[in-house]
Amino acid sequence: SGDGVTKKISLDWIKELCQQFPQGITDQVIQNDMPHLEPQQRAMAINKLLSLGQLDLLRNSAGLLYRMKDTQTASKMKGSDNQEKLVYQIIEDAGNKGIWSREIRFKSNLPLTEINKILKNLESKKLIKAVKSVAASKKKVYMLYNLQPDRSVTGGAWYSDQDFESEFVEVLNQQCFKFLQSKAEAARDSKQSPMVQRNSSFATSHEVWKYICELGISKVDLSMDDIETILNTLIYDGKVEMTVIAAKEGTVGSVDGQMKLYRGVNAIIQPTGLVKVPCGLCPVFDDCHEGGEISPSNCIYMAEWLDF
Amino acid sequence: MTAQEVRLCGLLLQEHFGDVVEKVGTHLLRNGAQHLRAIVQETGTPMDLVKKSLCVLIQHGACAFSSGRKGPGSPVEYQASFERILRILRYPRYIYTAKTLYGDTGELIIEELLQRGHMTMSSTVKTVADRLTLNMEEGHSMEYSEVSNTFSKLVETHFLQRCPPVEVAGKAVSATPDPATTPGAPANNTTPSTPESFADCYKVPHVTLIGRGKRRNSSEDGEDQRNAKRAKEDPETHGDEGIYWQVNFERFHLHFRDQAIISAVANKLDQTSSEIVRTMLRMSEVTTPPIATCTQALSANEIFRSLPPNYNISRPILDQYLTLLVDDPMEFVGKSGDSGGGMYVVNLHRALANLARATLESVVQERFGSRSARIFRLLLRKRHLEQKQVEDFAMIPAKEAKDMLYTLLSENLVQLQEIPKTPDHAPSRTFYLYTVNQLPTARMLLQNCFKTVANLIERRLFETKESKRLLEKSQRIEAILASLQASGAEPEQLTEVEEMITPPEKQQLESLRHHINKLDSAENQVDETIFLLESYIKAMKRL
Repeated sequence: SGDGVTKKISLDWIKELCQQFPQGITDQVIQNDMPHLEPQQRAMAINKLLSLGQLDLLRNSAGLLYRMKDTQTASKMKGSDNQEKLVYQIIEDAGNKGIWSREIRFKSNLPLTEINKILKNLESKKLIKAVKSVAASKKKVYMLYNLQPDRSVTGGAWYSDQDFESEFVEVLNQQCFKFLQSKAEAARDSKQSPMVQRNSSFATSHEVWKYICELGISKVDLSMDDIETILNTLIYDGKVEMTVIAAKEGTVGSVDGQMKLYRGVNAIIQPTGLVKVPCGLCPVFDDCHEGGEISPSNCIYMAEWLDF
Repeated sequence: MTAQEVRLCGLLLQEHFGDVVEKVGTHLLRNGAQHLRAIVQETGTPMDLVKKSLCVLIQHGACAFSSGRKGPGSPVEYQASFERILRILRYPRYIYTAKTLYGDTGELIIEELLQRGHMTMSSTVKTVADRLTLNMEEGHSMEYSEVSNTFSKLVETHFLQRCPPVEVAGKAVSATPDPATTPGAPANNTTPSTPESFADCYKVPHVTLIGRGKRRNSSEDGEDQRNAKRAKEDPETHGDEGIYWQVNFERFHLHFRDQAIISAVANKLDQTSSEIVRTMLRMSEVTTPPIATCTQALSANEIFRSLPPNYNISRPILDQYLTLLVDDPMEFVGKSGDSGGGMYVVNLHRALANLARATLESVVQERFGSRSARIFRLLLRKRHLEQKQVEDFAMIPAKEAKDMLYTLLSENLVQLQEIPKTPDHAPSRTFYLYTVNQLPTARMLLQNCFKTVANLIERRLFETKESKRLLEKSQRIEAILASLQASGAEPEQLTEVEEMITPPEKQQLESLRHHINKLDSAENQVDETIFLLESYIKAMKRL
């Protein structure tokens, strides 16, 4: 009938419009292009395309957007039912952080057995993949197949296959410290005026980053942010201090008009008196009292220390 | 008064004054202010012994008396001072400081005053002159005037101060010991008056002391005691009767505090910066009250003029050093204005807080390792962190970080703060934040220091007791040797006596000596930590 033909024509017309505007079209655009189409018919056509899985419905600040669905996934999804599409949508929304199966259940209100079946299905169709999260080693998060997992999931430069690379971090820590220490020493030995000495003992995070890259001890590429996290651990070790200075935009290594400077420093006291005697380090300090099983008179740590 | 504090004071009292004084003193520490009868009853000690013990304690400033709480008619109450008794531990440091500042004479003056508690200037001068003469060559002796000079210098720089005069205590006290030898705290007011509240606190009296030290030949113990007794009852007057002097501990403490700050600056920056800070502290020695947060403002011009002559740095360089000191994150020095080339102060309280913090970090580092120390410093900086954040910032794998945090938590070096998201405090919906509170942690470590020193003293007493027989034997042999030598015995006889101590016994004695020395110096080392922590806690209390 004429009605059916109009419908088919409008469907194709809308699909062509979508192909023309891959970023999506609004209802207004369709209306402008097909002024003869009644709003009711327009709505029916759009709904048909949506249910066929050929259009994506999106919302932006202006209103609703209709976008052409990726044909490959569209064809793959052809066999899927609504439930699978829902799960797929939820996973897609999670972006590159991935989503846990329990959260999928929460969002979709589907029973666990269904979810698992669907997930297995989608995985075999290579639409989604499971990535082990570094936060909880048994937890698996699902994300779209071709997405690069976010750093929070894989751990970034410090993790290789879910294992924290302690030795690698340790080595970097020592190397950075050595670099800063030698710079401070060179400044001290230069015997220039104190202000110049202090300024030349500083190194920017960019300098340290360049030094580490040139050393070539890292298999992965390290960013300046990575180096700054290492330098921060040196601050917490009490070996390094940091200041921030204003820098002209465009200066090498400056971020948002600022540069971070790091410098090797010395401790302000020698190890304190308390730790020079056995009691200061004793693991059973609280159990020790005169007349007890552990007492100063029979303390073996003291005896060893005295004979040293 | 914590158990550890009482235990330590007991040990110190026993070593320095004997069992009876220890009993009375410990009783007073545990039970607060008490009147005489109560002390007698509760310690089961005879009345005259209690009186004598109180004498000794008051003489040394370790006990004060005041009228009873129930009103002017009630019996006098005595109160022991834990702080003052603890100072006994620091005597070696006071004596050593006096030696570095004022030479042997200063050392002996301080030593005598510490041993006797309160003394007049004239008796101090005479005793010290005699002691110095003993160590000089034959035919030389020490002039009284030289010793008086050093004494005056010590008073000028406030290291010695007059004991506050006894108020009209005669009528209130029935059991007061002999007033000529024991001045104490004023009787009537409830607010403790410091020695400084008396106008003539640092005024050297006009004393007529002409003479030289007397050398005593072949003095044995008995004769010395008799001579000492005679000196006390010496009818010679010198114009300063009733004016007693004591060591001003607070002044020494200010000196130690300055030393700590200067060495911290030297460690962190360099020698010249520390000299500048030393100059600044020296200039504000008498103008800054002990409880001040920072010294008086000093202008750069003044500092430049007061630098020691062998440090000839130019004025612009001095300005650079001052700027660097101000910019340093430790904030030892602050800038308070721009007149006179820049007004600078030394931030005393901040310096003490930094030193206390470094002490805490040092303890954690030595006891638990550098990674735990990293976590500790991290928490000090960032105040409150969740478990995950600690792992991320410190870059320590989760399992190990957890372990370390729980260890620190169990030792109470780190605390856990709960912040519930829901009113039912459900664990899954609560934030658990780790935090370090510097002041309570410092207090806890201070108690640990007290326990440690008490442990060291007890070990020392134990070691001595174990080898008591051997020590007595060695003393007997030395006495025999001395008398043989005096009576002109032959070398063979001497060797025969010497050989009465077998080589293994000699070795045992040697090792005992080594142990005792080590324990002694360890006590002093822990006392340094006690000093830093106490100064910090006191400074924070006054805020």
